[in-house]
Amino acid sequence: MSVFLLQLINGLVQGGIYALIAVGYTMVYGIIQLINFAHGEIFMLGAYFALILVTATPLPFWAAVLLSMVFCAVLGMLIDYIAYRPLRNAPRLSALITAIGVSLTLLNLARMLWSSRQRTFPDDSKPAIFQSKIDLETGEVFNAIPLPDGAILPYTDIFIILLAVVLMFALNRLVHLTKIGKAMRACAQNPVAANLMGIKTNQVISVTFAIGSALGAVAGVMVGLREAIMPTMGYHKGIAAFAAAVLGGIGNITGAMLGGIIIGLAEAFGGGYISGGYKLAFAYVIMIVVILIRPSGLFGKSTAQRA
Amino acid sequence: MKNKLTPQNIILILIVCFVPLLLFGIDLLARLLFDNFGFDLPIPGASSILRILALTGLYVLLAVGLNIVCGYTGLLDLGYVGFYLVGGYTVGLLMTRFGISYWIALPLAVLNGAFWGLLRGVPTLRLTGDYFAIVTFGFAELLYQIVKNEEWLIGNVNGMVNDIPRASIFGIELDQNLYHYYHILILIALVVFVSYRLQHSRVGRAWVAIREDEQAAESMGINVSRYKSLAFAVSAAIGALGGAFFTQLQSNLAVEVFEFWESILILCMVVLGGMGNIRGAIIGGVIIGSLGEVLRIVLGFNPQLADARFLIFGVILILLMRYRPDGLVFRKT
Amino acid sequence: MRNWLVGLMLLMSLAFVYGCDTGNQVRVAVAGPFTGTAAAFGEMIKRGAQLKEKEINEAGGINGKMLKLVFKDDAGKPKDASNVANSIADNRRFLAVVGHFNSSCSLAGKPIYKQKGIVELSPGSTNVKVCEGSDWTFRNLYRDDFQGQFVAEYVNKYINEIKTVAILFDNDDYGRGLRDGFTSAAGNFGLNIVASEAYDRNSTDFKAQLTGIKAKNPDLVFISGLYSEAGLIVKQGREVGITAQFFGADGVDSPDFLTVAGDAAEGTYLTTPFIFSEGGGEALRVAEAFKTEFNGIEPDTWAALSYDAVGMIAEAIEKTFDQDASLADKRKAIRDHLASLNTPEKGYTGITGLTYFDKNGDTVNKPAYVKIVENGKFITAPQQLLNAGSQE
Repeated sequence: MSVFLLQLINGLVQGGIYALIAVGYTMVYGIIQLINFAHGEIFMLGAYFALILVTATPLPFWAAVLLSMVFCAVLGMLIDYIAYRPLRNAPRLSALITAIGVSLTLLNLARMLWSSRQRTFPDDSKPAIFQSKIDLETGEVFNAIPLPDGAILPYTDIFIILLAVVLMFALNRLVHLTKIGKAMRACAQNPVAANLMGIKTNQVISVTFAIGSALGAVAGVMVGLREAIMPTMGYHKGIAAFAAAVLGGIGNITGAMLGGIIIGLAEAFGGGYISGGYKLAFAYVIMIVVILIRPSGLFGKSTAQRA
Repeated sequence: MKNKLTPQNIILILIVCFVPLLLFGIDLLARLLFDNFGFDLPIPGASSILRILALTGLYVLLAVGLNIVCGYTGLLDLGYVGFYLVGGYTVGLLMTRFGISYWIALPLAVLNGAFWGLLRGVPTLRLTGDYFAIVTFGFAELLYQIVKNEEWLIGNVNGMVNDIPRASIFGIELDQNLYHYYHILILIALVVFVSYRLQHSRVGRAWVAIREDEQAAESMGINVSRYKSLAFAVSAAIGALGGAFFTQLQSNLAVEVFEFWESILILCMVVLGGMGNIRGAIIGGVIIGSLGEVLRIVLGFNPQLADARFLIFGVILILLMRYRPDGLVFRKT
Repeated sequence: MRNWLVGLMLLMSLAFVYGCDTGNQVRVAVAGPFTGTAAAFGEMIKRGAQLKEKEINEAGGINGKMLKLVFKDDAGKPKDASNVANSIADNRRFLAVVGHFNSSCSLAGKPIYKQKGIVELSPGSTNVKVCEGSDWTFRNLYRDDFQGQFVAEYVNKYINEIKTVAILFDNDDYGRGLRDGFTSAAGNFGLNIVASEAYDRNSTDFKAQLTGIKAKNPDLVFISGLYSEAGLIVKQGREVGITAQFFGADGVDSPDFLTVAGDAAEGTYLTTPFIFSEGGGEALRVAEAFKTEFNGIEPDTWAALSYDAVGMIAEAIEKTFDQDASLADKRKAIRDHLASLNTPEKGYTGITGLTYFDKNGDTVNKPAYVKIVENGKFITAPQQLLNAGSQE
C-alpha cells in the first residue's frame, strides 16, 4: 500500500513539474501557434542561474529563485523579440525551425559554459526542509515523513506538489480575472480582432513569454532540488512536458496542467510497476491513445482543418 | 526542375559523378608531396571525404522522402526517423540472421517501410497540424524504445547489430566509401525520379490540393484518405530505403543512431530548402547534412571551436530563417 | 572570381605554414568522448594520454622523433565514431589509434579499422564483443562478464549477510552486459536477485524504480551503470529510505560520482580496473606527476589506462620503427607487435600492471580492484579479491 502511495506521490511530483513547464508551451502556442522548442532550455537555464546565484553569491536560496524567475522572464521576452517577432508573418514552420535553432544555441552555450556534467545544489545552500535523509545506523528520518514499512516521504516532494498547485491556481486566476489575462485570452481567440480592439498584441505576447518562462524557471529549480541540473535536462523534461501540453489540448492551460499530471503518473506507475526501461514509453502510449480517440486532446477545441 | 537538361545541369551532374576522381587525384598529389618533400597538406583523405559525402547523400535521400509528407501534403512529421529505423533493422536482421542477400533485403525493407507508414498513417488520417506531429513523434519514440528494450527481437543489447555483411555485385564486395558514394547517388536519382514523377502527376496535384485546403479537395472529389495514405507509404518507403543504405555504410547498427534529433535534422533540411520542392530538399540536405562534419574539419585546428560546432549550427539556423523564411529555394510548385 | 582566387591563395599559404612544422613527428590518434555525456571520462583519458606524451617526448621521443597525439572527439556516439574512424584511418600520418572509450563506439570503429588496417587499442571498452572478429582491435582492461562475476564473488566473500540483491541497470550495452555477468554468477554465490530494473541514460528521476526496489527490501543494490546516474541513484535511494548497501562497477569510478551523490555516497563499494595505491612505486610517481601537471587533479583509473595504452603504442612504434616502410606496413608492424604480446613473459608492463592479449585481443589477466567511499573520498577496500574466478 505504501508503495502505491509513494508511486502516486512520485507521479504527482513529476506531474506538477511537467505541468509547470507545459503551461509555458501551451500559452505561447495558444497565441502564436508556435511550438517554442526553446522553452525547455529556458527551464534549464533557470535551474543553472539559481545554482550559480546560491553558490557564487551570498544570496539566500529564495532570493536566488526569485531572481532566476526574473532572469528567465527577461530571457523569454528577449528570445521572442530577437528571434520570433521578425517571423510573425512568415510560414509557421520557419518559426519552428528558428525555435529549434534557439534551443540548440542555448543548449550548447550551456554545455560550453558549464560542461555537460551533472550538478546539484550544495547541501549548505538549500533550506533545511529540502535536506531529507535517513540515518543508516539508527533509522532516524530527517525532514521526511516516515511511512509504515520503512519507506519515507521527503518534504521536498510534498513542497513541490503544493507549489505547483499554488502556482497553477494563481495562473488560472491571472488569466481569468486580470486585464492582461483577458487580453491574453482575446489574442488566443483571434489576434487580428484583438489588435483591432486596441490590444497591443506584441506586448501581450511578451507578457505570455515572461509568465511561461518564469514558471519554467521555478520548475527548473525544483528539478535541481530533487534531481540534478545538466544542460540536456531541458530537452528530456521539455519533450515530456510538450507531450503533456498536447495531450491536454494544446493552447488550453487547464489541459496542460491535467496533461502534465497524467504523464507524470503514467511514468511513475509504468516505470515502477511494469518496466523501468519503458518508463518514457508509457507516457507516449497514453498520449497517442488519447489523441487518437480525441483528435484535439482532452480539452482542445477542434480547430479548423488547417496545418 | 523546369528546364531539365540545360548545359548547367549536365555539368553539375558530371561534376557530381566525377567527384571521386577529383578527390583521388588530390589525394595522390598530397601523398606525393608528403612522401617526397615531407610536406603535409592539411586536407582529409579522399576516402573519408567520400564517406562524408555518402552520409550527406543519405540525408538528401531522407530529406526528399520527408518532403513528400511535409512538403506536398503539408503535414508536420516529427517521427520520420522511425521509418529510417525500420529500414535499417529490416536489412540488418535479415542479412545477419537469415543470411539473405542485400539485393533481396533492400526491396523487402522498402516494403516493410511502406507497411509501417500505412500502419501509422491510417489511424492518424483525421489528425491535423500539431496533433499529427506529436503522434508521429510518439510513434518514432515507441519504436526506438522497443528496439532498445527487446533483446530477443534484435538479438543484442541496445539495438546493436554488428558485422552486417556488405553487398556484392559481380563478385566485388561493396565495402569502399567509393562504392557507397555511387550507391547512394543511384538511390537518390531513383528517389528524385519517383518523387518528381509523382509531383507532376494527378497524385501530386491531389496532394497539393489537400495541403491547400483539405475540405475543398474532398468536395472536389479527391479521395483524401487514399491520397494521404499513399503519401505516407511512399515517404515511409523512402525512409526505409535510407535505413537500408545506412547498414551498408556503417556495417553495424546501434539504436542511438535513430534518436529524435535526427528527425528534427531532416525536417530542418526540408524547411531550409523550401517545403514542397525537390530541389530545395536536396539543397537543404546537402547543407545541413554536411554542416556538422564540415565544421568539424574546418574548426578542427582549434578544439574549443570544434566543440562549439552545434552552437554555430543553431545560430546559422536562426539567421537563415530570419533572412530567408521561405527557404532557400522560393518557388513552390 | 577574383574573391575565389584570393581565398584559394590564402588557404594555400595557410596550408603551407601548417604543413611545414610537422616534419619530425610520429602521430597517434586518441579517440574518445571529449564532449557529450561521457565527457568526464574523456577528459581523464585525454589527460592520461597527454602526460605520457609529455614524458616520452622529454625522454627524447620515439627514436628521435617527437610523439604527437591528436585528439578526435566521437562524442560517445556510434555514428560520430565511424566518421572519426574514417578520418583517422585515411590520414596519411596516423600510425595507430588509442580509443574508443564507449563500447558502442569501439564497435562502430572496428570494421573501419579492420578494413583500413590500423590498430585500435581501447582503454575503456568493456563490452564482451568489442575485440571479437577483428585482428586489429585490442584493449588493455577486462571484460564486462568478468566484472559482473567478480562483483558477485566479492559480495559473497567479503560483505556480510547479503542474501538478496536488487539490480538497477543502465539500459544500454554496458549496463546490460554487466548485469548479465552478475546475474549468471549470482546463483553460484548464494545471492538471490529480487529485482532487476532498467533506467535510461540521461534520466534524472529514479524514484519510480527505487520505490519499487524499496518495497522488496534487498540487502544490496547493485548499480550497473555510469557515475552520473549512479550518483543520483544513491542520493535518491537514501531519500526514499533504502538502507541497503550500494555496489557499483567501474562506470561509477569518477570523482563526479562523489560530487553528485554527496553524503549519500558514503560506504558505497565499487570495482575498478586499477587503483594507484596498489600499483607500486611507478604508479605513485605517475600519480604525483599527474597532479603537478594538471593543477592538483587526482588521476583516476581511466587516466592510468590511457597512459598505459599510449605507452604500449609508443613501445610498439619504437620496436617496429622503419623509416622507409610505407604507411600500411608501419601500421601492420604495430599490429603484429601487439599481437605478439600473447604470453605473460612477452607482455607490456605499465603502471596498471602486466598487459598481454589472447587471440581476440582481449586482456585476460588483469584483476579487478574494489574501492569504498569513506569521508567523501575513494579509498582502497580492506579486502581485495585478486584471484577471482578464472576467466577464459
